[in-house]
Formats: sequence, structure tokens, C-alpha cells
Amino acid sequence: MRSRLAPIAAIAVTAMGLALAGCAGGGADSGDTTKLVLGSWRTEDIAMWEDEILPAFHEANPDIEVEFAATDTNDYNAAIQSQVAGGNAPDLITCRPFDVNRAWIEDGYFDDLTGLEALDSFTPTALAAWTGADDAPYCVPVASVLAGFYYNKAIFDELGLEVPTTQAEFVDVLQAVKDNGKYTPLALGSADGWQLAYNVLYSMGPNYWKGEEGRLGLIDGTQKLTDPDFVAAFQAVDDLKPYLPSGFEAITYDDMGQLFNLGQAAIIPDGSWNINQLTSTGLDVGVFGAPVPEAGDQRYQQEMPDMAIGLSADSKNKEAAKVFLNWLTSDDFLSIFVNKLPGFFAMTTDAPSYDNPLAQEFSDLKTDAELTPRLALDRLSAGTPPLDDEIWVALQEMYAGTLTPDTATAQLQADLESWYVPAG
Amino acid sequence: MKRTATSYRYLALFVLPALAVYVLFSVYPLISSVFLSFFDSDDKAAGQQFIGFDNYVYLFTNPTTSERFWNALGNNVEFFLIHLLVELPIGLLMAALLTSGVLRKSTGAYRTLLFIPATLSVVIVGFIWRLLISPLWGVVDFPLLGNELTALPTISLMSVWQYIGIPMIFLYTALLAIPHDILEAAKIDGARGWTTFWKIKFPLIAPQFGLIVILTYIWTFNGFDIIYALNGSAPGPNYSTDILGTLFYRTFFGSSGQVANLDLGATVATVIFFIILVVTAVYFFVLQRRLKTYEL
Repeated sequence: MRSRLAPIAAIAVTAMGLALAGCAGGGADSGDTTKLVLGSWRTEDIAMWEDEILPAFHEANPDIEVEFAATDTNDYNAAIQSQVAGGNAPDLITCRPFDVNRAWIEDGYFDDLTGLEALDSFTPTALAAWTGADDAPYCVPVASVLAGFYYNKAIFDELGLEVPTTQAEFVDVLQAVKDNGKYTPLALGSADGWQLAYNVLYSMGPNYWKGEEGRLGLIDGTQKLTDPDFVAAFQAVDDLKPYLPSGFEAITYDDMGQLFNLGQAAIIPDGSWNINQLTSTGLDVGVFGAPVPEAGDQRYQQEMPDMAIGLSADSKNKEAAKVFLNWLTSDDFLSIFVNKLPGFFAMTTDAPSYDNPLAQEFSDLKTDAELTPRLALDRLSAGTPPLDDEIWVALQEMYAGTLTPDTATAQLQADLESWYVPAG
Repeated sequence: MKRTATSYRYLALFVLPALAVYVLFSVYPLISSVFLSFFDSDDKAAGQQFIGFDNYVYLFTNPTTSERFWNALGNNVEFFLIHLLVELPIGLLMAALLTSGVLRKSTGAYRTLLFIPATLSVVIVGFIWRLLISPLWGVVDFPLLGNELTALPTISLMSVWQYIGIPMIFLYTALLAIPHDILEAAKIDGARGWTTFWKIKFPLIAPQFGLIVILTYIWTFNGFDIIYALNGSAPGPNYSTDILGTLFYRTFFGSSGQVANLDLGATVATVIFFIILVVTAVYFFVLQRRLKTYEL
């Protein structure tokens, strides 16, 4: 037995030896380039990074090579945690927003980036999702997503409707579509709780709780969900109920998109990430921001930080990594990134221009508005029960008629107080 | 047969591979998850700390977690009862019809047709049914899956539809095994179809019927896939379709907003294990023994 296997083993070992020698030779040829590894959860963007972004970076910085190492979204947090624990963390780590990243900062995954040139391109709000307990920045923001109301221009023209700017106008437009009877006014279902929260409450609500003022007020305990501003926000969401399609309790996020896509609904509240799907049937679509309570009020726009990149504390090539991080705010990078991924937006103060007209329209929503991330994802959902999950359910119950804006907010505040101790 | 040292050695040799796999992938994870439920590993600096039954106390006394747990348990009982009261009688009826001879040559076709759903992927079954009963595209105007009262029965019936073939085939083979001379004797004694079935056939397959009841219990209390496929890991509306499997998944792996808690997840898993273990043990020690197997 042994003697018969021996030749095969010998061949295998030789082959492996040759292969290894080949690898080593390849490495020696490009001896003076620095290699960086970028960890990410965007497996769907591998082609974009490898074919467009990284070659562009390599062209500008021939001595640095970056490898894009993507892990599936759901496994990403666990993968990074085990890589850091095992001492082979990627040099550049893509940062999750808010609480996960805060835990990573606390565990010493990142280097403090204070003083990095790239950070001058961002407002403190843009950086807030990735700061540590010491308020120091740890990641360079890359992309955010926005929420708004898409509308079918053909239906608006047919019924002679104007894009609404106030809540009263909004309800009038919905009523007009309903009275006409041909179309569903609002493509919205409550089967998926997350989207009631992310695309409706967290989009309309900031106009009532005044964006960051209300959000930070909840975090430091100076405001409560039972305050009139928050109750009014829930009320504004409840006001939309008469304009939903029948059987909306069982209509999912995908159903809504199809209803709008088929030209059967006038308006759909959705996120910017869905631009390509919602226009895939060739509809002429526009987008407007969440309406304000009264004419002349300040407008607030939900901008959810999605992606940033930080520097691993264990990296052996920190100088090269900083060159890459600074490049993330360059036009070279941003123009490729935002145009290859319509629906994802640069967070820099000087916005690049967008080839996709709808993306440009979305981006324009940011110009006269104050920006604010989703209400409950920062600190308020780091305990049991998480406020974000509770809000999903409360909104579903409000639409089902078992809760009112008053009882919903009262219940949510009680659930929050059961574990959350305000930072302030 | 005389048992020699050699025969024992062969016995060990044949059992060992299966035993090794079983221990490694089934027994060891089970024990280690029971083990994990007695520890607290949240504080990374301090490492794992032994905390006794604290996780269990937390699960059953914290207002949020205990409310979710009892809700999931109640829903799971309902999920099981619907299977018990709908799937098994229909499965028995179909098995009886298949063996009754009234279907003649089409028995094979019916048997295949009825069993096909059980071979489909749960995701496909969930998707097709969701479309069929969608208020937008389907044949029902009422939001069956969006109403707290109807959501769980609706999903349970989808599952019943899918798995009806399992008890049917189980009982069908048991009915086939009944010797013809007994049935002929009954016929000669003047027993008609109904009497023959309840007085002769059913008592003979009672042990198998009992077994499929307890298997249904185990399957439904380990249930997860169809609910997860249709409603995700926080199954709404308002957790009305949440069962123990989805509660465990949400606790152990976390959901969008919920932070994963390995220790508490292991605690939930252990509780589910004991719920199944106790009932199954009681069944086997108390009931199965009384369901006499007739010597034929």
C-alpha cells in the first residue's frame, strides 16, 4: 500500500513546491509595491471594485496595490471579528454604522484618524455614525442612502397634480388620486415592518421632531417619544392610512414595488437604493422629499450612513492605507462609485454630479434640507427590546388599528425606559 | 448465535463510523449548547463566566423576553394542534382511500400526486401560496397573512398542504402490511367497510398512528423554515406567527435591530430541547406501551 502511494505523493509534493516557487517569484518581481487588503460586505460590488475603482487607484498610486476581499453581508460582522481575533485583519475594514462599529472601536479594531486630510470633506453629522465614545473619528464615510417619495409623472400629469410640499398638500394629492378611482394613491403595505419605519416614519418624522434635535434629544434623555413632536410624526404616518391599497396588511415590500412599477400607483415611499428596480419598466418617475407640517418650515431629509472605511490597528502598512483613505474623497473615486451604484450617495460636503437623473434628483433633496439618520439605530437599539424593532411592530399595529399615535408612542417610550439609561 | 470476541469486534467496527459522525455533529453540539446556556460571555475582557441558571431566570422573568417566549410557545402549540387536527385525519383518510381498492389502477398516480408537495422546497411553497392569497394579485381579498388572528392558521395550513404526504405514506404502508386473511375473515363475519376500518384496520395501525403523532409534535416544535421563508425572523404581524424556532433564531443570530446573544440563544435552544424531550419521553413510556402490537 505504502509503496504504491509513494510516487503519487512525491509528484504532488513536487507540484506544490513548484507552484509555491512560482508564487514567490511573482511576488519578488513587484518587490516595491505595498499590498493592502480591503474587507467589505458588498459581494455584489466585487466587479465594480476590481474592474473600475481599484485600477483607477492603482493608476494614481502605482506603488500601492489593494485587494478587495468581500464576505457575504450576513457573515461580515462575524468574519471581521474572527479575523481581528486571529491576528489577520484586513488593513482596511469597511465600517458598519453606529452601534456595531462603536463596539469595534471599543475593542480596539481601528486607529484613530484624527488629523487625516480626507476628514475635512465631511460635516460632523456625516462623521457621527463612526465616531467613538471619545468623539474621535475612526472611519472615512463612503456612502449613504436616502429615503423619499417616488411619484409616477404620467399619473400626476393625467390628474393635473402638483408635487406636494406640505402635509396638507400631500393629503390633498392622495385624496385627488383616490377620488379619481383609477389608481392606488399610495403603494404602501404593512407586511414588512422595517420599511414602514425606514421609508415612512424615519422619512416624514424628522420634519416634526426637527431632525437631529429630536434624535439626539431621545439619546440624551431630554426628549421623550411621548412629546408632542413625536406624537405628531406618528399621526402624520397614520394620516396616510386611508390611501393604502385594500388588504395592505398583507402587502410586502416587493408587492409595493411591483404595484408602482406596473403604473398602478401614483406614489411610493421608498429608499434611494431601489432606483433601478422602480424605473426598470421605463416609467417616468420623479422624487420628492417628505412634506413639511406647515408651509415655510425647515425641511429635514433622512440620510442614512451606510458605509465607511477604517484603518485596522493591526495593519503593517498604515502609511499606504492612509493614502487610500485620502483618495476616497477624490473626484476620481466618487464619480466612479456613485455612478456605478445609483442610489448610493457621497457624504462629502461637495457632492459630485450624478449621471442617473433620478439619483441627481435625490441628491438635490439634500441641498436645502438638514440631514438626519434613521431615528432609532444609534444607541437606542443596543438593548432589549431594541427600539428599532419595537417601532416596526408599533407602526404595523397602528395601521392594523390596534394602536393610536398616542398609545403607540406611550408604549414605545415605556419599552425604551425599561432598559435605556440616557447618556446625558 | 454465539457471540465471540471477533463478532463483537465486527459489531464495533460497523457501528463506529455512524456513531462518530452522530456524536460529533449531533450529541456534542447539543451538550455544548446546554453547557453554553450556563455561561455569560458578553463581557469580552472577562471571558466566559459561569452564572448558573441566570440565563433561564432572565428568559422567564424579563418582561420582554418572557412575553416573547410565552407568545412563541403558545403559537407553537397552535401550530402543532392544527397539524394534529387537520394533517393527520386527512392523511389517514387518504391512506385509507388508497388502500381501499376503490381507486383501482390510479392508486399509484394519486399516491405520487399527493406526495409531490412534500418534495418541494419550503421557499417555493411559501412563495406560491403568498402569491395565491395576496390581496393585490391573488384570489383572496382579505389580508390573511396581515391579520393577527388569521396569519398563523394560514401558514399552518400551507405547511399542512405541503406535508400531508408524509403521514399519508406512513399510514399507507402500515395499512398495506395488514394480512388479507384477517380482512377476509372480517368480511365473512359480516363486517362492512366502516366497521372493518375502525375495528380491524385502525387498531392494527394504532402504534404507527401514535408514532406519526409524536413525530408531528417533534417536527412542529422544531419548525422554523416556512415561517422564516414567509415572514422573516421577527414574524409579524405583531409576532403572531412567531414560534420557538424563529424566537431561537432571532435570539441566537440577532435580527436587524436585535443584537445576537449566544448565551440566551443557547438557553432558548435548551428549553426547546426539553419541551420536546419531556413530551416524547412521556409518550414512549406511558402511551406507546399501551398501544398493543397484535401478534399476527
